[in-house]
Amino acid sequence: MNHLDSAAGLGRRQMFKLAGLAGLTAALPACGRGFGGGGGDSGKIEINMVWWGDAQRAELTQKSLDLFQTANPGVRVRTEYQDSSPYKDKLAARFAAGDPPDLMAMRFDSLREYTDRGTLLDLSAHAGRLDLSGLTPQAKALGQVGEKSYGVPSGLNTIGFVVDKTLTDRYGVAVPDGDRWSWDEYAAFAEQITKASRGKVYGSNFEPWTVANLLVFARQRGEDFFTADGRLGATAATVTAWFQLTVDLRARGGLPPAGFIDQNNGSSPAQSYLAKKSIASQIIPTNNLLGYNQACGGGLALLRIPGESQAKRRGQSVDTPALWSIAAKARHPQETLALLNFLINDAEAAKVAGATRGVPPNRTLAEQTAPALDPDSRRSAEFLTKLQGEQLPPSYPYPVGASKLTNILKVISTEVEFGRTSPADAGQQFITEARKAITT
Amino acid sequence: MTVAVRRQDRAGYLFLLPWFGGTLFMIVPFFASLYLAFTDYDLLTPPRWAGLANFRTMLGDATLHQSLRVTLIYTLVSVPLSLAVALAVAMVLDRGVRGLAIYRSVYYLPSLLAGSVAIVMLWRYIFGYNGVVNGFLAWFGVQGPGWASDPRYALSTLILLHVWTFGSPMVIFLAGLRQIPAMYHEAAAVDGASSWRRFRSITLPLLSPIIFFNLVQSLIASFQTFTQGYVISNGSGGPGQSTLFYNLYLYQKGFAEFDMGYASSMAWLLLTVIAGFTAINFLAARWWVFYDN
Repeated sequence: MNHLDSAAGLGRRQMFKLAGLAGLTAALPACGRGFGGGGGDSGKIEINMVWWGDAQRAELTQKSLDLFQTANPGVRVRTEYQDSSPYKDKLAARFAAGDPPDLMAMRFDSLREYTDRGTLLDLSAHAGRLDLSGLTPQAKALGQVGEKSYGVPSGLNTIGFVVDKTLTDRYGVAVPDGDRWSWDEYAAFAEQITKASRGKVYGSNFEPWTVANLLVFARQRGEDFFTADGRLGATAATVTAWFQLTVDLRARGGLPPAGFIDQNNGSSPAQSYLAKKSIASQIIPTNNLLGYNQACGGGLALLRIPGESQAKRRGQSVDTPALWSIAAKARHPQETLALLNFLINDAEAAKVAGATRGVPPNRTLAEQTAPALDPDSRRSAEFLTKLQGEQLPPSYPYPVGASKLTNILKVISTEVEFGRTSPADAGQQFITEARKAITT
Repeated sequence: MTVAVRRQDRAGYLFLLPWFGGTLFMIVPFFASLYLAFTDYDLLTPPRWAGLANFRTMLGDATLHQSLRVTLIYTLVSVPLSLAVALAVAMVLDRGVRGLAIYRSVYYLPSLLAGSVAIVMLWRYIFGYNGVVNGFLAWFGVQGPGWASDPRYALSTLILLHVWTFGSPMVIFLAGLRQIPAMYHEAAAVDGASSWRRFRSITLPLLSPIIFFNLVQSLIASFQTFTQGYVISNGSGGPGQSTLFYNLYLYQKGFAEFDMGYASSMAWLLLTVIAGFTAINFLAARWWVFYDN
């Protein structure tokens, strides 16, 4: 009895200790957050900035942020980054939780998902803090929704075809003229490589499910993939022709056989089939030329997308790997605007960041930084600068729901790849599903 | 006496406090998702009441039906298969192998690894188009398919991965086998019963409560499969929709397509399906589960 009693007493005392500990651990994370987002001890204003990319990009980004923090000692920038696919999901969850980041990288195809729901800051209303006058018209248009501006391109890029010259030399195949080649020449070239290497190397590969690739093809055929009023402008005939191209080229041996390419192989240059030397050419975003060329051991030539000079009109456009956007509920909008202004207009910041996000959208800075770039980045910068000077049809922001299209296209192109759906059915199916995805 | 008991009671409840706290984190989202299941909720703006609209959409959602099909096939094939393998390995280990602890750990290891990124790399290396399996087939002049990249084989490859992670049911079987008194087997052996006969008439009936427990556990876990599918297909459920598990589709709907209302209603459908299967399991158990005492 007595024994029991004391045991209970001991338990209770221990329990209070435990409860105290539990309370303490619960309170700990709260300290990190501080009040109103101000960073705990030093009383500095803290800006939370998130983006996607790899360690190399992180290092370059940090360099420009260090410059900003030196110039603004009262502000601390807390960054988070990860791979692009989890980034997208996490960003949505943060908005849902009412805890959006201040400054964020925004996918071009998701911009309207966010703006149409009123979650982003209208940058055009803050011209006093954020100077967009140095941007080229194409660059400015990328973040524009109607009259308002919700994003500033973090850099400019486009897509291009890279050809591994060490392979073409080895098998004695001439690299086509990248400014003039047609889709037929492309097909013949790819087939030639496969034949000459006796199937050791496949001539080419590109992702038929990447919307940016199909978009260029549709534009070449005179169709806006997305129209100015946010509808799907591509026709079933165009999507069918796109799939027919892959089916024919696979039959001729120019593309690897079905199942050779693992869709989920990962997106980094080092993991690519190009780096493994199992294919000789593929489409890449031009700002990744440096990474791919390093992964392939040099020797990559950068060509335009085929068909540009034969088509009804130009297909390629000036794009951005990511926009910078500010949350409507940013805790420190003024400081965040200042940071964004610094990132896109400061000469030193642009210089240290290099070309990891493409060519600076500010034209003066683009010219200033070009000479100091490494040879690969300079090549991709020149490729883009040339494109910027050309007459290209306008391109419009992706409508709400457009971010679903990659998945739809991926499912359908697998069916086509394994011959379970004909290109004609695939084209029809894509249009039906894409329309549904965009309107709902 | 009563004072002491009351004090003990109080201490007991105080000890339970963390559990109540933890349950709060379950209960609130539980009812929140029940509410959200009847709304149109895009994560960024407040939910709007939609009545039964989400459930009506489910009827015509071909992708949802595909994800149900994938999950059902996966469950109905991989659960019996992995239990059979787990039981077989447990019986071998039960014969008193030297260094049992080491074997137990080795066989348990895959259960800890499955769903990790390292396994994806390994799996690609083995089952890729130019992987180890196809390298072996090439000796016989056969070009094998991409076991992970071909929609016809991708799910089978995932089932294999699941069967490979038989560790936790195996450990439970092993504990169950240890509890069967050796004298039953000895008596049967003296009477001339073959080892198959002893397995059928002694091991299986006495082990049936354990088999039942493992079956219910595995079935529930299998319906909820997410990580393996997510990691192997990088979240897409591909190639095609061949590995689009129900929970993967739910995740895509909620977090990638901004349709949390629909995702919530999907979660409730899954709960109903799992509850249904578990109920059937318990009803059927009356016929085949044998409790010794």
